[in-house]
Amino acid sequence: MVTLLTTVAIFVTLLSDTVAFFSQIPVTEFLTSTNWSPNPAGGGQVFGIVPLVIGTLTVTITAAFIALPVGTLTAIYLSEYATSNARSILKPLLEILAGIPTVVYGYFALVYITPVLKATLFPEISTFNALSASLMVGIMTIPMVSSISEDAMSAVPDDLRQAGYGLGATKFEVSTGIVVPASVSGIASSYILAVSRAIGETMIVVVAMGAQARMPAVQELAFGIPFVNPADVLLDSGMTITVAMVQIAGGDLVGGTIPYDAMFALGLTLFVVTLVMNVFSDIIAQRYREEY
Amino acid sequence: MGTDNAHAGGFGEVSRVRGIVFEYLSLGASVLGIFALAVLLVYVTIDAFDLANASPEWLLTYFVTLVVPYLAFCLYSANDRTLTRRTLGVLGGGLVATAVVFTAIETVVRPIPRLTWQLAYLFVVALPLTGYVTYVGSRGRVGQVGFGLLGRLIGGTAIGLALGILFLVFDPRLWFLAYTLGFVPAAAAYGYGRLRSAPRAITAAIPIGLLGTVAAVALRSVVDTYPTTVLIYLWTLAIPIALAGALVAADRGGRIAAAAVGGAPLALAAAVGLFGEAAGLGIGGPNALLVLTLAGVPTAVFLHRVADVGEGAVGLALPVLLAVGALAGALLVEAWGVPAPDPWLNGMFVTEAPSRTPEDAGLYPAIVGSVIIIAMVALLSFALGVGTSVFLEEYTAGSGTVGSLTRLLQINIANLAAIPSVVYGLLGLGLFANLLGLGFGTAVTVSLTLSLLILPITIISAQEAIRSVPDDLRRGSDAMGATRWQTTKNVVLPEAFPGILTGTILALGRAIGETAPLIMVGAATTVFSPPSSLFSKFSAMPMQIYAWAGFPQAEFRYGVVAAGVITLLIILVGMNGTAILLRNRAERGH
Amino acid sequence: MSNTDTSDSLITTDVETGSNDRTAPSNRTAVAARDLNVFYGDEQAIDDVSIEIPEKRVTALIGPSGCGKSTFLRCINRMNDMIDVCRVEGDVTFGGKNVYDADVDPVALRRKIGMVFQKPNPFPKSIRDNVAYGLKIQGFDGDVDARVEESLKGAALWDEVKDQLDSSGLDLSGGQQQRLCIARAIAPDPEVILMDEPTSALDPVAASKIEDLIDDLAEEYTVIIVTHNMQQAARISDRTAVFLTGGQLVEYDDTTKIFEDPEEQRVEDYITGKFG
Repeated sequence: MVTLLTTVAIFVTLLSDTVAFFSQIPVTEFLTSTNWSPNPAGGGQVFGIVPLVIGTLTVTITAAFIALPVGTLTAIYLSEYATSNARSILKPLLEILAGIPTVVYGYFALVYITPVLKATLFPEISTFNALSASLMVGIMTIPMVSSISEDAMSAVPDDLRQAGYGLGATKFEVSTGIVVPASVSGIASSYILAVSRAIGETMIVVVAMGAQARMPAVQELAFGIPFVNPADVLLDSGMTITVAMVQIAGGDLVGGTIPYDAMFALGLTLFVVTLVMNVFSDIIAQRYREEY
Repeated sequence: MGTDNAHAGGFGEVSRVRGIVFEYLSLGASVLGIFALAVLLVYVTIDAFDLANASPEWLLTYFVTLVVPYLAFCLYSANDRTLTRRTLGVLGGGLVATAVVFTAIETVVRPIPRLTWQLAYLFVVALPLTGYVTYVGSRGRVGQVGFGLLGRLIGGTAIGLALGILFLVFDPRLWFLAYTLGFVPAAAAYGYGRLRSAPRAITAAIPIGLLGTVAAVALRSVVDTYPTTVLIYLWTLAIPIALAGALVAADRGGRIAAAAVGGAPLALAAAVGLFGEAAGLGIGGPNALLVLTLAGVPTAVFLHRVADVGEGAVGLALPVLLAVGALAGALLVEAWGVPAPDPWLNGMFVTEAPSRTPEDAGLYPAIVGSVIIIAMVALLSFALGVGTSVFLEEYTAGSGTVGSLTRLLQINIANLAAIPSVVYGLLGLGLFANLLGLGFGTAVTVSLTLSLLILPITIISAQEAIRSVPDDLRRGSDAMGATRWQTTKNVVLPEAFPGILTGTILALGRAIGETAPLIMVGAATTVFSPPSSLFSKFSAMPMQIYAWAGFPQAEFRYGVVAAGVITLLIILVGMNGTAILLRNRAERGH
Repeated sequence: MSNTDTSDSLITTDVETGSNDRTAPSNRTAVAARDLNVFYGDEQAIDDVSIEIPEKRVTALIGPSGCGKSTFLRCINRMNDMIDVCRVEGDVTFGGKNVYDADVDPVALRRKIGMVFQKPNPFPKSIRDNVAYGLKIQGFDGDVDARVEESLKGAALWDEVKDQLDSSGLDLSGGQQQRLCIARAIAPDPEVILMDEPTSALDPVAASKIEDLIDDLAEEYTVIIVTHNMQQAARISDRTAVFLTGGQLVEYDDTTKIFEDPEEQRVEDYITGKFG
């Protein structure tokens, strides 16, 4: 019962202050304004979620570029190639990746990853940047992808592998041509979960990405196609939805002020997005459980 | 007969190149994240202990005085010639290989910052090898004895210190009254009931205890003379713990053993606690009493058992070996005059308050905050988690309205586990801090928020533990005419208990590292003195790390924070290690 | 003796065995085993089996559970390789070549030998992709659709599924799924088809359809079938090998001979139901 109460409580708490927020700031401004400056001292308060969404997407997409392929390959290796010995060593080690406190990852990104990137690949990278934060978010979410995907792959009946080998398929052909397609719904479900985790990740980005709500400079590619140079976004600081919440909370917390309510509006957005993704991932996962 | 030889030349060959490339690619992917984390951990360790400034002579000294005897101990315990040979081979071969490869990389590619080949050898060869040899050695009888003793010493000390910290916020005088008026009479009634088989006395125990506690709360404001804290601890904690130890020993060895097992550590603890400072020992006071009791009694029980079994007593030398090794290393370094590193993570770091100057910065108030929060979260989430999971597993029907409600709850729990922690922070802020008025960033608010955060994890793991109790046991109990609750209480919960405990500790590991919800509820980033009540401003280790990470000075970024990170990780590893040990023990029991 | 690889003494010996064929001189040998022993760890699953299986005939392997008949079947296409503890001694020749020779690639071998399993195991793909799978991995560059149609016709499934080639193989009934698996096995045009109790998971009607199909398959393929069902062996096979517990091949002869006048008392006991 407590759990149901928790859900209701979260929803009610978020909603009440969100309603208060939208009674003062129009929904259209929240959704379309490209400026986020909740601080009354900084020349007028504007609450536009767009730059925050861009920051969140930057981190999520970059992290997904690492976590999804690496996690999937890991799952294939664990389920198809690894000996039971190797599995029993690798799996707990991978779990450690998810068990490290995120503030520690943030510290790693800020203090070790960024200087290394600056010294080697990107001399122009700024102290706070989206890239190193995203790298860490990616590493942190690898075990989510790998463990759920591996469960799905292990659930593929051995009969199917036998059938493949009987037809003269190599291990590679069986793994990629039979096992992976047969477990695709489980893999998809793990992707969604990992992405939702990356969206809600807070401390890594707070520590390593800085807190500057920015709109990326849109350049014009040939034929007038708008184009954003990924380096502009990745190598510079930015602000995600979670960072914006933490930034407001780090200031003086007075109930009833607009920034305070804005925090809840952001929280509700985050809550709804992650909840929808989880439910969706659950539905997809149900399918692979029923298939066999 | 020609066609019989249709395949005389073989059946051709199918190219495996892609397959092999793919296999290694996926193997690489599997270790990529682990490898990245390992490198980062190596660097943070180097920074925290200032190992970059460790001279080769310094490393060599400690390698000889500490690592070599330790390895020898483990190998002796493992008692396996091939293992010994291989260990020596890896140690020697690894030394050459690391030196060559490292120097080659440095000269050909680029210098590796803040790493020497000696350090690389330490982390790449010596450390993993020590880990493996420890694992093998701990399975031999001698190793079991040695590590058992070491574990009890360290674990007892940690719990003793944690208890001492808890009494910073919880009033020891109130505890004294509640213990004397509530717990002691209740325990007496229960004991009397068991001895004389008087069920009424047993039933009366709980009301007596409650009554006594209420009386204690009422009396707290009236009574104003109390024994000293040392005496309170002695009476309320040390004596009962020693009694429990004596009871365990009495079961096995009779009265004299019991008296020795309970009495010796008690006497030592009391003596040091009461007179230690006066006698100029350098230690003493209430915390020394707690530590000595909590480390001493289990150690005494363990020693008694080892003496009883009479096997592997050599293992008892392990703590001595390590202490002497460390001491000898220190003396040698001193005498030799080799430059020693100046670690950021030292005694001062964990006992001092934070500071603006990196050299003086300490983590003490944050550690205190974390310990208090974890203790409260443990109580709250254990109670709530067990309650909910028992309800879900034992009391709900599979079908009908209740069934669909159960399914809804189940889906809900799974989804709660995936909600970002920062949203839980908002819940804590809106509900506990503002609506219920528990205050911004107080221990109560933080603990309640974190309990809710880890509740789904505790529930799910407790459910799994309960589900793994074989149905036969339940049916057996049902067949004896037990009620649902009796079956649950007497059969299911005891069986599932180790699993539930393991899950809870793992979830607590999650709670101890959480930062975002703490920021959201307004926990302080830095407090300079340990909290004095549940409603005073709190910090916690991750909060302090977050605060320090923002400092621009290199001494903070590469020194103080690294020390904080290592402290946090050591506590995490300790908690998770305990959980895993518990699980393994429970699995062996079945 | 067209064996060109004279350096390989095993093959030479095999061919000599083949030339001494006493059971079916009019037929060529497709698969043969000589002094075959198979162990799972310490347990012996096949005990010194020697057998010659004729081309384009149906050969049934019968015997009680655990007698090693499935193990023997899996030796032919080296599916046993995938079991770590499995150890094989002796020779299994396919077309005169010992499949356990060091230079034999088991994957390439399996492409020449089709296999049908006890439980229908179509891939969770469309019917077309199921049948085309073997062609795809073998890099078949002809008309895939034509071959799919041909194989489905060969498996007597075409008329039932020709309008739903793109629906999932898992949507078919159990008997249809098994025929789909047969179609999948024959699509790459193997020389031998191994069947491991292909009807044991099916109802009698579906099973009889498969039996008819096996009869037709023998026109083109060498069929080796493991079965529990003695009536089935009697109905469909030309030759029958009887394995008894311990992995021994007790008797191997024409099916009619085995079922009407077996040499061994133990075989008669088994067939008449006194044992096993």
